[in-house]
Amino acid sequence: MKSRLRVFPLLTLSAFCVPILLGLFGTWLPAFGYLPAIGAEDFNLHNFRELFVHPAFPGALRASLISGFGATLLALFCSIWITLSIYGSLLWRLLVRLLSPLLAVPHAAFAIGFTFLVAPSGLLVRCISPELTGFAAPPDWQTVKDPYGLSLTLALACKEIPFLLLMCISGLNQLDIRRTDWIGRSLGYSRVRIWTRLVLPRLYPQLRLPVLAVLAYSLSVVDVAIILGPSLPPTLAVLVDRWFNDADVTSRLLGAAGATWLFLLVACSIGLFLAAEKLITTCAAGRLVNGSRTTVLDKVRWLGNTLAVAVMAVSALCFIVLLIWSFARSYRFPDLLPTMYSLQFWTKGLDHATEPLYITFVVGALATCAGIILVIGCLENEVRMQQRGRRANGQQIMWLVYMPLLVPQIAFLFGIQTSAVLLHLEGKWLSMVGIHLVFVLPYIFLTLSNVYRSFDARYMQVAVALSGSPIQSFFRVKLPMLLKPVAFAMATGFAVSVAQYLPTMYIGAGRFMTITTETVSLAGGSDRRVIAVYALCQFLLPLLVYCLALFLPAWLFRQRKAMQN
Amino acid sequence: MSLELEKVQVRYRGRTLFEPVTISIPKGEIATVMGPSGCGKSTLLAAIAGNLEHGFRVDGRISLNGRELHDTAMENRQVGILFQDDLLFPHFDVYGNLAFGLPAGLKRDVKEQRIMTALERAGLEDFARRDVATLSGGQKARVSLLRTILAEPEAVLLDEPFSRLDMVLRASFREFVHEQTRQRDIPALLVTHDEQDSCGGRIYELRGEELE
Repeated sequence: MKSRLRVFPLLTLSAFCVPILLGLFGTWLPAFGYLPAIGAEDFNLHNFRELFVHPAFPGALRASLISGFGATLLALFCSIWITLSIYGSLLWRLLVRLLSPLLAVPHAAFAIGFTFLVAPSGLLVRCISPELTGFAAPPDWQTVKDPYGLSLTLALACKEIPFLLLMCISGLNQLDIRRTDWIGRSLGYSRVRIWTRLVLPRLYPQLRLPVLAVLAYSLSVVDVAIILGPSLPPTLAVLVDRWFNDADVTSRLLGAAGATWLFLLVACSIGLFLAAEKLITTCAAGRLVNGSRTTVLDKVRWLGNTLAVAVMAVSALCFIVLLIWSFARSYRFPDLLPTMYSLQFWTKGLDHATEPLYITFVVGALATCAGIILVIGCLENEVRMQQRGRRANGQQIMWLVYMPLLVPQIAFLFGIQTSAVLLHLEGKWLSMVGIHLVFVLPYIFLTLSNVYRSFDARYMQVAVALSGSPIQSFFRVKLPMLLKPVAFAMATGFAVSVAQYLPTMYIGAGRFMTITTETVSLAGGSDRRVIAVYALCQFLLPLLVYCLALFLPAWLFRQRKAMQN
Repeated sequence: MSLELEKVQVRYRGRTLFEPVTISIPKGEIATVMGPSGCGKSTLLAAIAGNLEHGFRVDGRISLNGRELHDTAMENRQVGILFQDDLLFPHFDVYGNLAFGLPAGLKRDVKEQRIMTALERAGLEDFARRDVATLSGGQKARVSLLRTILAEPEAVLLDEPFSRLDMVLRASFREFVHEQTRQRDIPALLVTHDEQDSCGGRIYELRGEELE
């Protein structure tokens, strides 16, 4: 058992390292002019030159930088300010309870809801029209798809705040906030000062990797940018995606160059973020102990409450507006609500969505099951190594786990696609599950690792002493006791799989249409009512699994009080 | 004058946690509140410091040097606290931890002089730039108390500060606490379940009321 467990870290590592490395090299080679499949066989910098002089390039780069850095900084600032002002309050407890459903919302569904909310003909304008605005027709504003990517920035920030909040919570749980706050205040410090001087310096190291993941994601996101981002030119990632899918095969070389450039851009941005962090900590070190007890920021502490309410309200409204549209039959501007309702779009939509939903479910379920087995194997191996006195380097492990989240998807998926074609693996169930596994693994690991590591080892000692078998003890004692967090981690993994857009597009070879790829392609120009039905399906599938993950363990152990928490 | 508690009681959801206590501590004295664990000793300290969690209510009067504490925000009460865990801030060194306690607006040399004097009195003059994680239990306890004292509180609360220390350290740290509060001439309130922890002042008993 002991020696066999050692296979798991190796398997897990190769499950995501091999595809990513293969994909990166498979993208870099064509970027430098080598793609034998289309007859390009000499190495040169021609594609990069072409990329830099491309008329769409400067605008695309600008939009990417604005939305990438804007969304990251905004999300980071908001989540910190929210925790600072409401940590421990009733509003905070409400927010914590809402985090899981907020996180389960796929990015594409959220983006569509956001569009229906803020578009010139969206719910927000309808709320105040025509009474306040006098609009009888939607105004000629560019509140979505604006050329600077501001609506994209805002939507991404809104979607990432819950994720960063979740990371704040797990970081704060490791700090003794109540007594830190007590000591700070008994020394005369204000709440804001206590957070900036005592809490943040210790919290930020826990937030570093999640923030970098948000940065990498926001700089390179494709599905949300297709729905909400600028179109002429689009963001760099969308532009690259278009080149990769262009009918003219030579565009792929340009795409590969763009993808490689985007990879470099993300790498440099991460470096810049780390350098800025270093600079800020160095400059602030002396000021932290200068004794100043209050700050002007104390006066705007209430802003956190507003932000928290705003984040919850926007998410709720996104959901509501999708619901309204999905049941609408006649819904003219500027009516706040539809004048006629109908079920016809649901019946028609569900009819068409059956196969995509089935594919989504099977791929998600398989990837999640494979993921949970690998992750539990790794964690069990780690726990047993630790018992024998060998400590793994936690920081290094975390960087590895985060790798799939730090490398932009678009930067390596093309390479995987070409490799898959060479190996005749394109459009197969195996490759679909494999590519989803790459992104499912880190999230399962992140949600499960803390609980798993803190499992009281004495239960296993007792069980092994009684049964004489570590394997039996594991399946009959440890796994049932950990059922709740395991189920929750699986639900998270499933939600991540459902939300994948690019991997499905690139590896599916058109044979695998999931609910997400269908929703994104419909979002381009279909009837809003059809889009709403699809977006809701995309949202309800992971939500259903989350509910199952919450209720199944609770029901199984309904007569065991100690297992309820 | 000094720290006065008059018929103080804490309620949570309509229940009282302990029988009303009346305590009067003159300057320079360390009074002791005794009671078994779980009888609400820490809650009493939280009531005096103003740090009760949501849902708790305080009845009775608490005053410090004639000031009513009831409506004063916690950060303005000038009541220092010392826990059994040192709770030194791990991202600062010893000097940084002490500097954090000092009032704002002091000149650099005044600051340095105050910190060094405090460290010398505690026999820790060579430890200014040490990482707090490398200190021994007794040293941590001393630095922690120095930090509380340097903030110039008008009263100090001690939440079983000796219980993590062994017998020998306990005696010397108790002496150190006594010396520091006497020097600053401020009242201190110690809660403990161990009679031997008492520092010579009056001893009060806290009788808890049964909680389910």
